[in-house]
Amino acid sequence: MNHAEAANECDIKVFSCPKSGNSAEEYEDAWALRQTRTPPTGGIRVAVADGATESSFAKLWAVLVAESYVRSEVTGAEFFERLAAARRLWRQRLAGRPLPWFASEKAEQGAFAAFLGVQIDAHNNRWTALAVGDCCLMQVDDVGKRMRVLKAFPLEKSSQFTMSPYLIGSRSNGEPPHERIQISKGSLRDGDMLLLATDAVAAWLLKQHENGRPLWKWLYRKLGTPESFAAMVAYGRKHGLRNDDFTLVRVIHHDSPVAAKER
Amino acid sequence: MPYQAEISRKNPGCFLFLVDQSESMEDPFAGGNGKKKAEELATILNKLIHNLSIRCAKSDSIYDYFHVGVLGYSEDSCKPALGGELSGRSLVPISELAGKPLRIEERTKQSDDGAGGVMEQTVKFPVWFDPYGKGGTPMCAALKDATKIVATWCQEHPQGFPPIVINITDGEATDGDLVAAARPLTAVSGEDGSALLFNIHLSSTAGPSIELPGDASKLPDQHAKALFDASSTLTPFMVARATELGLPAAENSRGFIFNAQPLHVIHFLDIGTRPANVRLR
Repeated sequence: MNHAEAANECDIKVFSCPKSGNSAEEYEDAWALRQTRTPPTGGIRVAVADGATESSFAKLWAVLVAESYVRSEVTGAEFFERLAAARRLWRQRLAGRPLPWFASEKAEQGAFAAFLGVQIDAHNNRWTALAVGDCCLMQVDDVGKRMRVLKAFPLEKSSQFTMSPYLIGSRSNGEPPHERIQISKGSLRDGDMLLLATDAVAAWLLKQHENGRPLWKWLYRKLGTPESFAAMVAYGRKHGLRNDDFTLVRVIHHDSPVAAKER
Repeated sequence: MPYQAEISRKNPGCFLFLVDQSESMEDPFAGGNGKKKAEELATILNKLIHNLSIRCAKSDSIYDYFHVGVLGYSEDSCKPALGGELSGRSLVPISELAGKPLRIEERTKQSDDGAGGVMEQTVKFPVWFDPYGKGGTPMCAALKDATKIVATWCQEHPQGFPPIVINITDGEATDGDLVAAARPLTAVSGEDGSALLFNIHLSSTAGPSIELPGDASKLPDQHAKALFDASSTLTPFMVARATELGLPAAENSRGFIFNAQPLHVIHFLDIGTRPANVRLR
């Protein structure tokens, strides 16, 4: 289990672990986080990416896409037109590497990854999300006993997840067509929680919610350490969580650093 | 619910191919340009193994998601049909199979040059299996041998996804009733369900290709009908995946294909996220 934290007006924690039976080196998700105060894009940029099992060198591609997003300044579809450098890096890392026939042919197909990037403007209480594939953003507010799901994006229901999503490719023709790119925007109130998750954990959280057993409150109040994430995964594996790499970024928004401190 | 077991390196899947090497396979294939059925069979088998290797390739190695075997039947007997260093082996991990073809040929193919044009590219083309046809068609003996192999597999992998046996033939068994011979095979079971038998019928009888039918009404002869009867019904995941791949699958579809290349069959088992935007080979 890996875990990272960042502090601002947003309380951000990142949790991840590889598929059961795989080593940490075989984990093929990626996440990236960057805080910037430079206008006009000041705020927090966070991304998760999920390298496809059935593609080669997918971890490298997932990392490159996630890092490209947080280092970029764009929030719209044009981001995908600016992945030339990431594609070049992916190719360079493979160039000259002696590969057996099957590895060479698989690499020719390119690597693929699902992607979700979110720009959070904590000062103006806004977020903008960009996605291709089935990494998911869930916004939950801190009102009421069970907390309300304000948004699930780009997929809204657990039944919408499939084993064959459209993904971003590392080859030069891998840019997603316009209709595959999803963009959403929203506002934030004090105490709102944003969850960025790769597909298996997102599908499971939505399923738990649909079945009347939401984990939002637990995620808000109790998820804090790698051990608590491990406990959630262990519980999930007994209750329908598909075996996969898991990545979950939890962002809790506060109107001001003072509000954050007082909580 | 059966057929839910996760396929992983720890809990691999199993494909066992039964290949007809009888004399009748030397006859012309109705679905090919002057090709013999034996040549079509070799093309199919080499492509299936090739594509399965690519599917399991991960960076610079191959993950052993599957073990694969090939039994050939001709004259009076059935025997393991892989050659070279794999000679005599019934089941081989996919990584070993990919690493030990009979030979690797170099062929040229045309591909997109990235600037709107076409360029010729040299590609490696591994060959595991050459065309061969002699004597009778002891298909029932092959099904019997396959039953033993999958029974052993299920004992060794009791929690694994049930083995899939793919029989490629022109349909004319000379040693008995193939439907009866198939029953013990599809009765072999582990905790996740029974072994599945799919039949690929390469016929000299002309007619439109038929894929994954739900009934035998459009099949052209009694050999095709017998093979259909012996074929297992697709699992719900396979129906969903076949539909996703553009095949005409329905709830009652059988694993039966008439005069068509069954290259999508290897995608009927799930090993993880497959990008929808990769063109399947």
